[in-house]
Parts: sequence; structure tokens; C-alpha cells
Amino acid sequence: MKELHNVNVAMRTLARELLESGTVAGVYGWKKGSRPTLTSPLYIQDAAKADRLAYDQYAVSNLSALLLDHRNNDKKRAIFVKGCDSRGVVRLLQDQQITPEQVLVIGLPCPGMVDEAGSLLTKCAECRFPNPVMADQVLGGVEVSKQPSAPTGVTAEAARKVGVGSRAGERMAQVAQLEGKTAAEKEAYWAEQHDKCIRCYACRNVCPACNCRDCIFDTEKKGWVSKAATSSANAFFAITRAMHVAGRCVDCGECERVCPMDIPIMTVNRKLQQDIEALFGPYDAGVDETVVPPLGRYQTDDPEEFL
Amino acid sequence: MKALAKKNLADALALLAGQATVWVPAKVAGVTRFAPWSPAVTLDLEATPPAVSPKEILLPETESLYRYSAYGMDVTFEAVEQEVPPTIIWGIHSCDVQAILCQDDVFLSREPQDAAYAKRRAATTLVALACTTPGPDCFCTSMGLEPAEHASTDVQLHILTDGYGVEARTARGEEIVARLAEKGLLVETIEPPAKAQACTRAVNPEGIDKKLVEMFEHPYWDELAATCLNCGACTFLCPTCHCFDLTDHRRNAHEGTKIRCWDACMFTEYTVMAGGHNPRPGKKERVRQRFMHKLRYFPERYGKWQCTGCGRCVARCPVHIEITDVIKEVGEVTLDG
Ligand code: SF4
Ligand code: SF4
Ligand code: SF4
Ligand code: SF4
Ligand code: SF4
Repeated sequence: MKELHNVNVAMRTLARELLESGTVAGVYGWKKGSRPTLTSPLYIQDAAKADRLAYDQYAVSNLSALLLDHRNNDKKRAIFVKGCDSRGVVRLLQDQQITPEQVLVIGLPCPGMVDEAGSLLTKCAECRFPNPVMADQVLGGVEVSKQPSAPTGVTAEAARKVGVGSRAGERMAQVAQLEGKTAAEKEAYWAEQHDKCIRCYACRNVCPACNCRDCIFDTEKKGWVSKAATSSANAFFAITRAMHVAGRCVDCGECERVCPMDIPIMTVNRKLQQDIEALFGPYDAGVDETVVPPLGRYQTDDPEEFL
Repeated sequence: MKALAKKNLADALALLAGQATVWVPAKVAGVTRFAPWSPAVTLDLEATPPAVSPKEILLPETESLYRYSAYGMDVTFEAVEQEVPPTIIWGIHSCDVQAILCQDDVFLSREPQDAAYAKRRAATTLVALACTTPGPDCFCTSMGLEPAEHASTDVQLHILTDGYGVEARTARGEEIVARLAEKGLLVETIEPPAKAQACTRAVNPEGIDKKLVEMFEHPYWDELAATCLNCGACTFLCPTCHCFDLTDHRRNAHEGTKIRCWDACMFTEYTVMAGGHNPRPGKKERVRQRFMHKLRYFPERYGKWQCTGCGRCVARCPVHIEITDVIKEVGEVTLDG
């Protein structure tokens, strides 16, 4: 994409400098994949490999969860982020999975991501934070913003043209559609979806909010959950995953993208967002590190009487 | 050659379903996978390949093996006898037929055989469907297969303009063809079957099994593994991956059922031993194991690749770690010394 030509050059130069100077021990970015329409995650530790870095409208992967690999390591890693990805980094910082000393965040302008057929991803049509919400450095003239905003930087015009954020107001459409169904219909719908789950945990492992050191689904011996991929165990997994990220999910859509069984995971995440906003007021997770997530804070006027 | 007209397909499946469970590629909740045929099933014979392989028919995701109870010194075991109906897998492609041969190697070729697998396999007849239009990630020809046919199927279906050429390859296959013929569902045709188009992807695996012997400590694995999520998408979708775990459905502290369910070398806890030691502690060790198994250990042990080129892992790896790249790059990297 021609608007991003200079950004690509700048990314490679910056990565090379950061590695050569020893400022960082590694850099997370993307590289071109086996087809022109694939741009895949890349981690480099060697300045000589900086030229492999590439960024375009296919760089859909959110790399932030990969930082969890280094949570016990003092060295700094650089990470390139789009708007949605930056919220993943905030998630990790706020959850104290990494410290600011461990990460150097480089914000990029987002042109809006497309699938291999060239259609804008739903998450991008619904995007409210196309600009990084935090960054130590930016490239391509993008502006850091903690407010819902229009795309900025060298791809602002391109992003506007493809419709980034144009359906932000319809983010809850899928939730509304399901809410229109009867309880029995909803049950049948989710049973069919959960039956498909193969318990590959791709949704969990890609997620910056799923950052428990010991996931309950990996600690089978405690007997909380069965490893069997039965309908009920799958539903238990799906509900537990959703509840564990409630109020902390940064809305990056990666869980749904990576699910090999095409389970509409975002519908559940969005429903929880909606409920949390209804109970606790407007809240966008992973935007402002200083605002504690609603389910993680104590208030004397909590709407739940039990407290 | 005998031919089954498309308009007779439903009748043929209905006929066979009278005496067997006939698994067909079908759209189920938006995903193409094998499902037991019934008139209500939405057939999808076009998917190349179906998103989910027929692996689960012979190796279910979860199955009960035996029930146990242990109260003090009173210990009892009782095998869970599986009902295994006669089974037909209709519309399986060459890649997945080959994968069943790999599974046979693992579960049947050495003693002791896996009883549950053996029972299901013995009850199963394969009706392969020629694959003439490869999907975007197919590379079975690179792995030595022929998308248009497989020698080890019971029946081979070829693609004709308005139906399927039907060719029996085993006695079991003959039986099926005879039953269809008896009901007047087959006609004779001289139409030559459609040729398969070339696979979309191409790699040359020649010699990499030998080269991998020298690559256990190669830095290549570090870079490859750095972005892996250690999920189970690649292995669970793979028709040849066969690792499983034995675990329990506990009713209480004394009673329960021993179950077997899929497991994967990509999971962190897969190799954790009693006492907590993990001989494959990191991503590097796990990713290396997956490719070593498919491209070196399996060929060493059974004389065939443990990858059939179906492309499912390529299509669905969240971070695009592609076995086609691995085959190519392993061929290219330099070995020290
Ligand atoms: S969600 Fe927003 S920031 Fe993320 S890729 Fe889409 S448009 Fe870009
Ligand atoms: S639950 Fe899904 S959308 Fe939310 S942060 Fe995790 S991967 Fe992103
Ligand atoms: S990614 Fe999909 S199939 Fe895999 S565990 Fe998650 S919901 Fe289940
Ligand atoms: S390794 Fe990948 S391409 Fe090979 S058989 Fe398994 S899923 Fe198919
Ligand atoms: S190679 Fe891809 S699909 Fe396999 S475990 Fe790693 S991230 Fe998951």
C-alpha cells in the first residue's frame, strides 16, 4: 500500500537501530507471508533481519499477547501496534503482567484491515480507537488518542475511504439480534456453536486479557473442569473464558478471528461489555491505564446489593 | 466405468444409510465437516478439503474406555463396550485417505494394537471422491499424493459432468457398488473422468527427513517458534495428528470413567511429568517436535510423511506458521560444520 511505503522504511530503520544499540532485545512486528494477501507476525532479535519487517492492510494480528512470553525477563522488547493492538498492551500493563520498562510501544497509523478477499474486517468497520491509545514513539504521523477518534496519520484518508469506524454505532447489532430470540432459541443457537469447539484454546492464547499464569483449563488435576470436548464442558469453557475477560476484554476481535471453528465469540464479549456499561456506566477497557476496570474496583454504591 | 448420476446421489446415500452410518461432508453450524447422512443434512461435496477432517470418526475427540470404582480394597474395572455400527465415509479426499493410513500405522501396525481404533477401523469402508479443484492451501501432490484418486480406498468416485464415475477397489467396495447397481442407481458410461488441476501450493520435501537429523539444535527453531501461540489449532485440525490423553470423568473420589481425549504436543502441559519436570519447556521444543514428528520421526518409523498436504494447519494457524514454509526453509538452511 503506497501510503505506507515510508512507514515500512521507517519501521525497518527504527528496528535496526533499536537492536543494534541494544535498547531492546527483540522486536515484534509483521512480515509478508506466503501470499501477497497475508501479513504474519514476526519476532526478530537480529538487526540484520530488520528488512523482513512489513506492514500493510493485511497485518491483522494483534501481537500484544506475545509479550507474555517475556514477563519473567527484565529486557525490553519493542512492539509495533495499531490502535486495537495498543489496547492489548495497556491490558498487560494494567494487569501488571509486564512493566513499562519491559516494553517499547511504537504506534502506527492504521489503514483498516481487510481479509484476503479485500473486504474491510467487521471489527475495523466498527472501530472506535483506530489510533494508538498509548505509545512511546509513533511513525507515519499518527496521533496518540485516548478518546474515540477518526483515523490520523498517513493512512487517515485511506482508512476513511474503506469505512474504518463507519459502523461504530452498530457494534451491538449482533447482540441485539440474538436478544430478540426466545430463551429456547438462544440455547439451541449456543449449543450448536459450542458443540463445534475443539478446545484448541487458540482464542485464549491469542488474547491479551487471558493472561493468567495458570489457566484453570490447564490445571486439570484440580478437577475444576473436564478435558473432554463434550457439549457441556465446551460451554463451560466458553462461559468461563468470557467471564474471566469481562470488563477487561479490549475488543480486539482476535479470539473470533483465530477460532478455527468460526464460533462467534465476539457476540459474547460484546454482550458482557453492554451489560457492564448498563450497570457501571461507560467504560472502554485497555484505554486508560489509570482507570481500574469496573469489575476490579470497589465502590460503596455498587449496584450489586450483596456487596 | 459405472456412473452414479447426481440426481441419484440422495437415493444412493439413503440406500446405504439403511445399513450403515454414512458420514458425508456437510455444512454444520457454518463449518464443513463430516456428519452422519440423513435427508436433513446439507451436503457440501465442494469443499476442498472440508474444514474439519474425518479423523474424529475413527479417533473421537473424547471416548470412554472403562468405568472404575475403588472403595478401600474393593477395586473394580468394567470396560465400556462401544457400539460400532458399519460405517461408510463417503466423499473423503485423497489427503484424508492417506491420513487414515498414517493412523493405521500408529494404532494397528505394531503390538499391542489399539482395540477401540481397530474395532472402528474394521467396520469402516472408504468411498473416496476425486478432488479436481484444489483449495488455496492444498499441496498434496508435493507430499506424493494424487488428488484425483487414492489406491487404498475401497471405492473411488471420479468427477463426471453430471455425476460420479464409480470404481470399486476392494471386495468391500465391490459390495457397495453391487448394492447400488442392484437398485438400478448406476449406469454405464464412457465419459472420461475430470482431471485434477495442479495443487495451489508446491514444495519439495525430498531429503528433508535426513537433513532434520542434523537439525535438532539448529537456531532455525527459535525464530520459527517465537510467534507460535502454542494452541491446538494445527494439531487438532490435522488428519494425521493422533496424540491423546487418558484422564477421568470423576463421579466422586472413588468412582469414575477413564476417558481418552485428543491432546497436542503444542500444549505446555502435554509433556509435564509427575513432579513437575517438563522436558519440552518452551515453544522452541514444542514447535520443533511437531515438525520433527511429521517430517522425520514418522518417516523413519513408518516410511511415509506424516503430512498429507491437506493444508488445514496452513489455513487456520492464527499466526501463519506454515508447514509449506518449514519444508522449504529446512531445505534451504545451512548446517554448521
Ligand atoms: S480495529 Fe481499528 S485499529 Fe484495529 S485494525 Fe481495525 S481499524 Fe485498525
Ligand atoms: S477476548 Fe477476544 S476481543 Fe477481547 S481482548 Fe481477548 S482476544 Fe481481544
Ligand atoms: S478457538 Fe474456537 S475451537 Fe478453539 S477453543 Fe476457542 S472457541 Fe473452541
Ligand atoms: S500437517 Fe497440516 S497440511 Fe499436513 S496433514 Fe496435517 S493439517 Fe494437513
Ligand atoms: S503453529 Fe499455529 S496453530 Fe500451531 S500451535 Fe502454533 S500458533 Fe497454534
